[in-house]
Amino acid sequence: MCTMKTKKGMPVFWHVIIISTIIILLFPILFALGMSFKPLKEAYNDTLNFLPIPFTLENYHALFESVDVVKITWNTFVIATIITFFKVVTAFLAAYAFVFLEFKGKKILYFLLIGTMFIPFAATMIPNYLFISKIGLGDNIFGVIFPQLSDAVGIFLIRQSMRSIPISLIEAARLDQIKQRHIMRDIVLPLTRPAITSTGIWFFILAWNEYVWPVLILKSVENYTLPLALQMFISSEGGTNFTVAMAVSVITLIIPLSLYLIFQRYIIGTFASSGIK
Amino acid sequence: MKRTLKLGLFLMLALALFACSKGEANEGNNDGQGDKVTIEYWHVNAETQGGKAVNELVDEFNAQQDEIVVVPKYNPDMYKGLMQNLQAEAAAGKAPAVVQVGWSFLEYFSNNFEYSSPEEVIEEYFPEDDTYLTDHFLENVLSLAKNEEGTQVGIPYSLSTPVLYINKDLLKEAGLDESGPETWEEVKEFSKQILDETGKYGFYFQEPDDNWATQALLESNGASMITDGKASFASKEGIEAYELWADMVTKDKSAVHVSWDEGVQSFIDGNVAMLYTTIARRSQIQDNVNFDAASIKSPVWEGKDVRLPAGGSMLAITAKDEETQKAAWEFMKFLYSVESMATWTIDTGYVPPRKDVATSEDGLKSFLEENEMMNAAIEQMEGVVPWASFPGDAGLEAEQKLLDIRDQILGGDVGVKEGLEQTEEEINQILN
Amino acid sequence: MKVKSFVREVNWKAYILLIPTIIIFILFMFWPFAYTIFLSFYDWNMVSPTKEFVGIDNYIAVLSDPITFKVFKNTGVYILILLVINLCIPYVFAYVIDIVLKRWKSFYKATLFLPSVISLVVSSILFTWMLNPVSGPLALILQQFNIPMPNWSKLDGWAIAILSMITSWKVFGYNFILLYASINGVSREIIEAARLDGMPLWRIFFSIVIPMSSATGIYIFIITIVFGLQYVFTPIKVITQGEPNYGSSNIMYHIYHEAFVLYRTGHSAALATVMMCFFILLLIFEFRFVERSVYYEN
Repeated sequence: MCTMKTKKGMPVFWHVIIISTIIILLFPILFALGMSFKPLKEAYNDTLNFLPIPFTLENYHALFESVDVVKITWNTFVIATIITFFKVVTAFLAAYAFVFLEFKGKKILYFLLIGTMFIPFAATMIPNYLFISKIGLGDNIFGVIFPQLSDAVGIFLIRQSMRSIPISLIEAARLDQIKQRHIMRDIVLPLTRPAITSTGIWFFILAWNEYVWPVLILKSVENYTLPLALQMFISSEGGTNFTVAMAVSVITLIIPLSLYLIFQRYIIGTFASSGIK
Repeated sequence: MKRTLKLGLFLMLALALFACSKGEANEGNNDGQGDKVTIEYWHVNAETQGGKAVNELVDEFNAQQDEIVVVPKYNPDMYKGLMQNLQAEAAAGKAPAVVQVGWSFLEYFSNNFEYSSPEEVIEEYFPEDDTYLTDHFLENVLSLAKNEEGTQVGIPYSLSTPVLYINKDLLKEAGLDESGPETWEEVKEFSKQILDETGKYGFYFQEPDDNWATQALLESNGASMITDGKASFASKEGIEAYELWADMVTKDKSAVHVSWDEGVQSFIDGNVAMLYTTIARRSQIQDNVNFDAASIKSPVWEGKDVRLPAGGSMLAITAKDEETQKAAWEFMKFLYSVESMATWTIDTGYVPPRKDVATSEDGLKSFLEENEMMNAAIEQMEGVVPWASFPGDAGLEAEQKLLDIRDQILGGDVGVKEGLEQTEEEINQILN
Repeated sequence: MKVKSFVREVNWKAYILLIPTIIIFILFMFWPFAYTIFLSFYDWNMVSPTKEFVGIDNYIAVLSDPITFKVFKNTGVYILILLVINLCIPYVFAYVIDIVLKRWKSFYKATLFLPSVISLVVSSILFTWMLNPVSGPLALILQQFNIPMPNWSKLDGWAIAILSMITSWKVFGYNFILLYASINGVSREIIEAARLDGMPLWRIFFSIVIPMSSATGIYIFIITIVFGLQYVFTPIKVITQGEPNYGSSNIMYHIYHEAFVLYRTGHSAALATVMMCFFILLLIFEFRFVERSVYYEN
């Protein structure tokens, strides 16, 4: 009886809660989008109305005039893709070793790696900078890439996901004389695909938006990334050009957003069909 | 799965190739430039504040001669951000050729970084320019770039002073004189009346992470931030001046206590009637207000002389060898020409440091006629004093302590007298 | 026994798999951090040619500074708020959307994640504008109802609350998606059986879903603590710079502030080391007690 009652009243209640959350979450994005098509003066004086009336493209014009947007987007894409790929691959291999293999120093090594998530980047920034400039990677995209590869989040998440794979499955495969790399590729990889995809997306977003480190490394405008282009319109003394900043944000948003929409179904979809259950 | 993996690998390979070939192409360019000297110019100018002018000027310089190539590098987060990047660069044993140093970092820069005084460079390589500095700059302006020991660390490049921006429409609505207040006492009365009559905030006093405007407020009342290397702002005059501001915020509640960007935004959209901030915000305000806005000279204290700290920056030479030092000076001389200065001023809203720019036909004459908001800043240049920069290694910490107490006083957690006296004591302890 | 022999045989393979990770971490994490620990015993400002050895003076200075404790306390508050917003709420949402609701699931999944793709710099600029206490859109709306908006960026407590919200705005969706995927993996038969037994939904949530998805749960728990440290940094830097009087600063920002605003490298390094020790204790605790109760398929 009790369940019957919950079933009728509850969904409506939850739909209302969730939809209001979504409105709160999405409003700022719509606001930014609207503002990016508004003249700055209107943005100041008619701030309640986020609809782009009067409509203008001047913010995008200003942006395209001061930087080579295509080139910069491409730089950002290259950097973020390389970082994502290496981080995911190394994290997968490391997690596999931590879950399915035994070796000396396993616990302490895992502990050390996870511990690095609590190291403030300010504490490693200067030594890293010295190292990068010593090996001649200043103002180079690989100088931006390397230090960002040392991130334990991926190892952690993929390991958590691998631990849900029944070890009996691996043992059975092992008894069937299946080679290690085949176990990895044909059993473990498909089963951890949701975790891999979601860390991949997250890594991509992080690398895509990273600004502190590239500011230090990159000097020439042709090597800039999108977050640096955004910094060009922020100034504490001269004031931030809000609407152009929003235009940069909108452009910065396009690629990660489309990637998410493409890969979204993989994250969730694969769980049900993964055969764990 | 295999296919995906292969595709991934292929993608990686392609990207790596792309990156390599790009690297080579860059090197190739450098080779092609032959024996040109390449120097880096580090600046802080965002696109909203002179960034365009910097690029324009650099391009022009690079095009007009073929010995030197200047590469401009923008440093976000103003002078503090530049100093951070310079710190990292110095730790790596490198340095750009010319850097823009904010006045509040004058002592810190000269104590901690390797630089060449422009006088040295001129004397050594450009004897023909030996009167350049005295010919083109006013004595008091030049001395802004001298450190405690009296060394000419750099050459003033941009100057700003705080001005009072007023919303004439709101003043009128509140039944006040549209030409605005002349003294700080009047500012307080105006502000209260605006709140009472219109329900809007009367005043916002800029609150960035430095004490520049605070210095203007206190020193114009006869206080002195630093005397003989010691903090001395908690004098009777200093406390009195600070109290006026604190009272407006905590007692009258006619002045708003928010962050800098928020305060300026609220002035522009017409919710705050008067704004005390730097002339560098002029174009942001002028371009975006929907009301009759004006800038007037920094208010004085009844019967006292105004003393305004210079904001902005100087250019210093950090190039290490002869070749780059020479190139640095050539480039600087170009930046200080009347035409370059005019381009620079129009795009930034700073006051030019050179004597003849404001009146020259090639310079700013017509610009100033059209932009009345600049006049307040130019007229009050006589009252300009150096930005107080606490000496020694603990200087930045001292500066920070003054900011910490600002939040406590304006938040109403502590009285002005008590707060300032205690902070002064703390600062003098760490300065020792 | 079988497992053991399997294990011994492949020992060296484990190292091969770990080599890339180890190299990268040694070069860009362990070595730099070791250098930081080394610097914590020196008085240095990163540029002056001389480093002065001061023993544990930096530690004494840092640990006797009331600001350190204020900042630690703030960090705790940030973490607590973020845990509520980014662990508890997404957990409930994921459960409700996956199991309780029937309609609009994919729409919810897609939209709740959207803000996650935006950078924290952008959201900081955006929210500073939108939440301007005098004349931002929200203040203007509240004005219609005669509710004054607090000048949050300058008020203790409020500053932390709002900065946490800004960070959460970005993190919420990511956590939600992970939890959703995890709950989605919980066996439908068990849940259906419990439902047919008349078990109320909240009990299904607490006694079946949470334990069976706790591997992801513990991940989100730890990662949210990390967010509370690392991600909050950006809004603090862009919006408040730690003001009012360190009222919105957290440890990460304070370490940055000491190193790159005041240039007290030694203090900053000592603070970083102290913080590491603190969180290593926390991790040991997690490994000892929490890991045990986590449900893994094995």
